[in-house]
Amino acid sequence: MHSIVCEDVWMVYRSMFSEKVALSGVDLKIPKNKIFGLLGPNGAGKTTLISLMATLLRQTKGRIEVLGYDAIKDLKEIRKRINIASGNPNLIWSLTVYENLRYYSLLYGLNDRKVVEQLIKEFELEEFRNVEFNRLSTGNKQKLILARAFVNDPELVFLDEPTKGLDPPVAKRLREKIQSLQKDLGITVVLTTHYMSEAEMLCDRIAFINRGKIVAEGTKEELKRMLKMRDKITIEVDAKVPEMKLDGVFMVERDGNLLSFYVDSAESRLWDLAKEVAKFGRIKNISVKEVDLEDVFNELAK
Amino acid sequence: MNLRNEVYKTLGFTYRNFIITKRNFFTLFETLFWPVIGLLSVGLMGAYLNLEENYLAFILIGAVTLSVLQVSQLDVAYVLLFDIWSKSLRYTFVTPISIFNMLFGAWLFGALRGFIAFLILLICSEFLFDLNLLIQPFGVLLFLFGIFLSAMIIGTLTCSLLLIFGYRAEVAAWTLTAIFMLLCGIYYPITLLPSGVREIAYMIPLTHFLEFYRSFYNFPASSDNPALMGFLLSFVLLFFLFLILIWALDRARRKGTITQFSE
Repeated sequence: MHSIVCEDVWMVYRSMFSEKVALSGVDLKIPKNKIFGLLGPNGAGKTTLISLMATLLRQTKGRIEVLGYDAIKDLKEIRKRINIASGNPNLIWSLTVYENLRYYSLLYGLNDRKVVEQLIKEFELEEFRNVEFNRLSTGNKQKLILARAFVNDPELVFLDEPTKGLDPPVAKRLREKIQSLQKDLGITVVLTTHYMSEAEMLCDRIAFINRGKIVAEGTKEELKRMLKMRDKITIEVDAKVPEMKLDGVFMVERDGNLLSFYVDSAESRLWDLAKEVAKFGRIKNISVKEVDLEDVFNELAK
Repeated sequence: MNLRNEVYKTLGFTYRNFIITKRNFFTLFETLFWPVIGLLSVGLMGAYLNLEENYLAFILIGAVTLSVLQVSQLDVAYVLLFDIWSKSLRYTFVTPISIFNMLFGAWLFGALRGFIAFLILLICSEFLFDLNLLIQPFGVLLFLFGIFLSAMIIGTLTCSLLLIFGYRAEVAAWTLTAIFMLLCGIYYPITLLPSGVREIAYMIPLTHFLEFYRSFYNFPASSDNPALMGFLLSFVLLFFLFLILIWALDRARRKGTITQFSE
């Protein structure tokens, strides 16, 4: 079962003098009750895609189905069941934490003050209950934005860079909160992020988007397999090593005399690689590690 | 459609405008300070010119209408502007509200603010200029309702312009009322207006509401039943403006205006 199905989705921003293609033929299926990551470089189309799925934009072409409803015809049905939180924490400045949550709960047709109080408690905002939004710290603003996203007990939540600009400890706590809420409530979360560690920690499946197209999609392991990049062998030598082509090496990164080789298997390639490099200079150091999401991202963003 | 849910959604906007007004000095100023200044300056000019009572009523009705209309329509325009200024538009439009919940909720609070401004001006004109603006209480209530409908018209137009032209249209919130009042005969009968402009004035409901109020002081109206004419024109205009607003909102989704306003 899928929470979201996108079929050949195009988004073209047209103005009087220009035309900008933000998405070109996106096909994507987002499974239910999972955390789904949407990764890509700046301007790749992540926010456009998330805004389309959240019905804030209307696609130029193609079909989007959210929770079984059509994103053009069934706006209200979708909006009842979804919510969004962005990493740009902006809410009405002069409303307090309580007033903001109460206001948004009313917009969902709900008039239950208990839910508002519960959210304040759940997101550890009791101390700031009567503090106006513009007087909150960035971390607390972000907590409020997240709390707001749960005001209607949604089935699907979009989190657009939810930990952007936060101190590492605050970001870590928020990630843990997102993870526990997703587990406890059994909801679907669609997350965009620039932090690969965040995606690695939170996401069950990931789609990479680049230049308005989905370039890869799968679990972290599937993505690494897809690129045949399993391990990264880093060798430090005391001389300059010329370009070389070796079996099983998919990518070489150079940083001075530090060479990083992305290989299908370190076990079977390490010996040959070391022998080859040693022809040009003395090896000072060798390290082997499993390829992480950041390496996959860098490759796909090319 | 669950009626109770719709009422809560609508009252959500009333609640928000109430809190912001309560907390912000400038919105209190709009309700109390500028209306009294407007009435005082026009009333004193009337006293200086030694105007007869009915002529004084004529110009004071213009001053009162300008203030009440401005205060009421601002709340309707603010329903989008507050979100635009705080870059939170996406959070409003991701909820299952309709544009009517927004407009009507904000309008309710605008009408309340306008009513308070009217009461203050009524008391001021009685005490300062010895002029009773409540000579036909039921008629005055009808007139006020007409002004509140005009406020909805101007507010809806402002919201449409904001969605179509973006930040540049902000200025409409403060200028449209003045333009409408100029066309509708703020301190003069519209017969003074040049031909062509006069015909436009007849198409605006506010012209007829002003003539209706002024007819209590024996000034002639351009139609037999100015109140009825005003209400008819109001409903026709509102119908078309709502269609324009729905189109503007759909256009904003296609053009990405809502997300741009949130960045």
